[in-house]
Formats: sequence, C-alpha cells, structure tokens
Amino acid sequence: MAPFALVTPATPEEAIARLREGPGEEVAVLAGGTDLLFDIEAQRTRPRTVLSLRRLPWRTLEWSGATLTVGSTLPLRSLENDPDVRLRLPGLYHAVRAVGSVALRHRATLGGNLGRAAPASDLVPMLLALDAEVDLVGPEGERTVSVDRFIEGSRKTARGPAELIRSVRFPEARPSAYLWQRVRPFHDISHLAVAVALSPTDGRWRVAIAGFPPRPVRLPPAEAELDAPYPTDASLARAAALLARNAPIVADRRASEEYRRQLVRPLFVRAVRAAVPSPRAP
Amino acid sequence: MSDGSLRLSVNGREVVLDGVPSDERLLDTLRWRLGLRGTKEGCRTGGCGACTVLVDRQSTLSCLALAHELAGRSVTTIEGIDVDPLGRTVRSAFERTGALQCGYCTPGFVMALTGLLAERERASSFDELLEDLGGNLCRCTGYAAIVRAAALARQERP
Repeated sequence: MAPFALVTPATPEEAIARLREGPGEEVAVLAGGTDLLFDIEAQRTRPRTVLSLRRLPWRTLEWSGATLTVGSTLPLRSLENDPDVRLRLPGLYHAVRAVGSVALRHRATLGGNLGRAAPASDLVPMLLALDAEVDLVGPEGERTVSVDRFIEGSRKTARGPAELIRSVRFPEARPSAYLWQRVRPFHDISHLAVAVALSPTDGRWRVAIAGFPPRPVRLPPAEAELDAPYPTDASLARAAALLARNAPIVADRRASEEYRRQLVRPLFVRAVRAAVPSPRAP
Repeated sequence: MSDGSLRLSVNGREVVLDGVPSDERLLDTLRWRLGLRGTKEGCRTGGCGACTVLVDRQSTLSCLALAHELAGRSVTTIEGIDVDPLGRTVRSAFERTGALQCGYCTPGFVMALTGLLAERERASSFDELLEDLGGNLCRCTGYAAIVRAAALARQERP
C-alpha cells in the first residue's frame, strides 16, 4: 500500500486552503478515522493526501436552551456521556450507542459518520428524525443544510470538495427512540433500524428507517398517520402497516426485503411506545 | 513517506521515533517498533477489540488509529498495566477468576475494562458495564469467567 501524505492543519482556514489545492478525490478528510482507515486498509480508497482535523477546535458540545450544537470532531463517546443528551435526546443517545464499540466511539465522530455517508449509518436515521442540520465551512464561507439534503446517497454527500463539516445542530429536545435488529447486539451493522421523534413545537412525529441501501429515509406518509402526542393503537397500527407496505426497503447481502418488511412493524411500534412522553411530564 | 519524528509517551516512558510512515497504525508501532507484543492483532478492522490499548486512559482500537494522529498522547499497553492501580486491580481480577483460555483476547479485555472503570461513575450499572465490554470478542467463548472478573474488578476498584 502506498503511504499518503498526512497533513494536520492548525486552523480551519488552513485546512480549507489545503483542500482547495485539491484534487478532490485524492484528498481524504480524516476525523476519527475508524471508517476511513478501514477503507484504506481494504484498498477501497487510495488517497494521496489525508487531511487530519485533529488540531481544529471542533471537539465541542454546547447546549443553548433546547438547541444542541455538536462540533464535528467530538468523539461519539463524549456525546453519549453528556447527561443532557441522554435525558433530552434519548433517541440520539441510543443511536450513538449503536455505533461500533466503546473503544471505537472514543475516536469515531459525528462529523465523520455524516461525511462518510455509509448506507447503513446508525446515526443518520436519528438525525433525520431530529431534523438535525449540518454546518459547513468552505472557501465561500459558511452554509447550513438539513441532514436530509446533505446525505445524497450511498457514500455521497452535498459537501463540496473544499468544504468541511464544522458542526451538527439539533434544533430542539425531543422525546425520541432508536431501535435496531442485527446479528450481534454490539459492534454490528443493523439489518433494519427505526428512529422516531416527536417535535414539541409542531406536535408532529418524525419517522426514519435505515439499514438498507442507498440511504436512511424519512417516511412522511407514516408520520401523518400517527396521532400526536399519544398515538392511539389504531393510528399506530395504520402507520405500521403503511411502513411495511410502502417503505422503500430493498434486499442486500445482509438481509432480504421480506425479512426487513417483517421487522419494520414491531420495531416501529416498540420505538413509538418507547418514545411517547410520559403524560405526567411537565 | 514519513512525517518527521513521532513523540509518544508509552507506559510512562517518553519515546521519540523516526521514520514512522504516515499510514502506520499504532498497533504496528507498538508491536514491531517498540516490541510490545502483548497488544494483539485480531481482525485489524475494529471488530474484535484484541488490539485495545489506552490513550490518555481511554480505550482505543490501535488497529484503527494512525500512530502520527496520537503524537504527544499517553499510551498504555498491557505491559504497563501495573503502573495504574486500577489496571493492577483489573489484571489481578482476571487472574483470580481464571478469566482466560487461550489468552489472545485477554490484553484487549483487560485494557477495555480498565478504561471503562476509569471512565464511568461507580453508579453506572453492571449491565451497562457488560454492554460496554461488547466490543471485545473471546473466540474461546470463555465469557462466564470474564463476567466474573468484571464484577470482581468493579467491586474492588480503588
């Protein structure tokens, strides 16, 4: 394997300037490296230059009222260890814990997970259900895009060749849940995963499912079937049936379409029941 | 292509290494440059936990970390486990419960458990501790004794 040049810019400006020198495909951005190094080892990608973000000041986590902003290079384990994340975004807490192992999450990052856009990401579906936004910085300045627009497909994102993910923003605390099915409970890829969240602002549910190519998806028709904030059994059953019938589920080498359509119903029903806010909560 | 000299603290000793290629994994630096063969190579893809070491007291998969990315950080391997009173407790718990069969996964388990006990409050539940050990595989399937070792170490933690 031909080694690459490892560059470690000290500021975002320096990093963007280096990315502008391009050419895009030959420069790989390294955050935690747990996915990138795996691909380099398998020779699925052969970057000439690896640009490390480790010296950038983006290892941050900040609550401002109900809004959470997570720096793109914060290790996932730090996100999971924040007591407010567990309390106010429980679905995010469980989605983060579904990624790899503790030792992996000490290095893996939210920015890296988004930037690498793995088709079976455990974080993207939860980010969709939480209406998370991605803050990008590049030669033209800053811009913010929704996660739904940012993820364009399997391993495809809206990040420009000289742009970097600076942070990810969660607009509000939401009752939420994340459930998955896989062969091994830990350190495995989900065959199917369901993320649900209830927005206290507009009183509507968000539903996203994942685990199959090309990318995690929101399911607005199923969302519309769910009564809020407390879905009746009938509305839950209607939404579940709609999901099982109409979700764009496909087969891949890990599971058949039929198996996944069978799984989506119970996972979805359990996820909604787990997320429903307690009637006595303030 | 190398990236200049690399400074690391390994088991409490400062080391300066020259000529480390940019793509070298911490695992290979430890095993082949520093002769610390206690850290095992299992799957080399982050799936088995055999190569777990501590970086600034946090468990880290040494197969998925570039050595140069850890410049200036403090690395602890199984060879340095006794320097840390918590590490000594965990190592001793594994010995007293006989928590090893072939032994290949043992250094990774000892490092992972030491990292978890260093990180978590005493209040975190035993179930959660076991969940957090889920990234380490024992292909001998000797988990029952490993669970006993984890319980003992948690109880005796200094």
